[in-house]
Amino acid sequence: MKHLTEEELIEQYYSKGAAGFGRHLEACTECAEAYAALQRDLEEMKFAAPPVRIPGYGAKVWQAIAPSLPAYETRKRSWLGIGLWRGLSYAACALLVVGAFFAGRLWEQREPRTTANSSPPPAQEHAAPPQQRIVVVVLSDHLDRSERLLVELKHADAGSEEMVSPLRDEARSLLVANRICQQNAAKIDDPALVTALNHLDHLLDGLANQPGGVNSATIARLQEEMNADGLLFQVRVLRSRIPEQEAGARSKEGKI
Amino acid sequence: MQCMGKSDHETIKAVLAGDKEAYGALVMRHSHSLFRVAFRITGNEFEAEDVVQEAFLRGYQKLESFESRSKFGTWIYRIAVRCALDRIGGHKADDSSRVAEEADPAQEQVRVADEAAGPDRLLLSGEIGALRDLALRSLTATERAAFVLRHMEDCTSEEIGAALGIPPNAAKQAVFRAVRKLRSRLAPLRATR
Repeated sequence: MKHLTEEELIEQYYSKGAAGFGRHLEACTECAEAYAALQRDLEEMKFAAPPVRIPGYGAKVWQAIAPSLPAYETRKRSWLGIGLWRGLSYAACALLVVGAFFAGRLWEQREPRTTANSSPPPAQEHAAPPQQRIVVVVLSDHLDRSERLLVELKHADAGSEEMVSPLRDEARSLLVANRICQQNAAKIDDPALVTALNHLDHLLDGLANQPGGVNSATIARLQEEMNADGLLFQVRVLRSRIPEQEAGARSKEGKI
Repeated sequence: MQCMGKSDHETIKAVLAGDKEAYGALVMRHSHSLFRVAFRITGNEFEAEDVVQEAFLRGYQKLESFESRSKFGTWIYRIAVRCALDRIGGHKADDSSRVAEEADPAQEQVRVADEAAGPDRLLLSGEIGALRDLALRSLTATERAAFVLRHMEDCTSEEIGAALGIPPNAAKQAVFRAVRKLRSRLAPLRATR
């Protein structure tokens, strides 16, 4: 008689007998014993029960995420118009390139080469549109690096000098980028971004410039602050918005 | 909130028509079940809370792709499982080395035998529970999620496959591997019974 494999016994257990090995188990003592052992092991596998949530837990979750969600009506309109705008923006881009080419040729013919130093280069006039896209790319990179730092900080072992030192160095590097992003966020009037970057600035400053160096108490305090502000979540939300902002920046480039 | 009495599908229609607040009703309705599965997979209360928020956020962003013939509860549950899987998959490199070190069966056997000799049985029971949790953490992310869904959430192989984005047969194999590893790792505990 061919005995049942462990996989078949496991299938029999989880399908509550529907796997169809019942008859074999009645007839074969060896398999019946193996099945009884498996049954005993699996029934004893009880793990930590999930902590009980307060009755208003769902409302708490909603309060946390609601400010990050744009209403669908406005998004829908932009989705509807995206095909038309994309076509128009491609046409505008093509016109701009052709126009710039001929304008350049004309300008070259009219202006003698010697006066080139006294006037700003013509390329500057067209520098504004790509700048917005660069800002979005820089922000994306900054948020990406910040998220990695926050995750490392969240799981940091405060007693380990090997772990704390790279965190401090990365925080110093991020602090400069964060201040540039803060200035840009203030210009574009994005309250969610401004708030998150302000929180991030406070945390990076604490990590980078702590007098006397970073110790376990500082790490614990920063971890607590980070959790209280929900900073990691805020950064993740902002990162999830980046593809839309990139699309927005691209379409603006096309329109100009 | 006006949508509290409405079905999930009616609520989704309202959200897609611009009533953002209606999504709150869905969040309140499904938060507890999402937290439960997120906690079981991540094994950490705070990570589980993050997973719940991330799942609802991703769900909102993808709501237009939700097909009305399926259940919202099942759909958002799958998103939460994926989020939890991403989360434990991301920390796997750190965890695996630590767990591999701690979960040496020979060491466990010695440790449990020593504890069993002590007078406090409650302490032993707590220790056994902790060892079970440790054994669960030693599984790969997919094995762990598949086992949790099968053993604790009572999902079928098809449901596990759909939640993890793998074929049902691969889900079944992941459960088999998980059970085999857990039995092997927890074998020393049988000696104490």
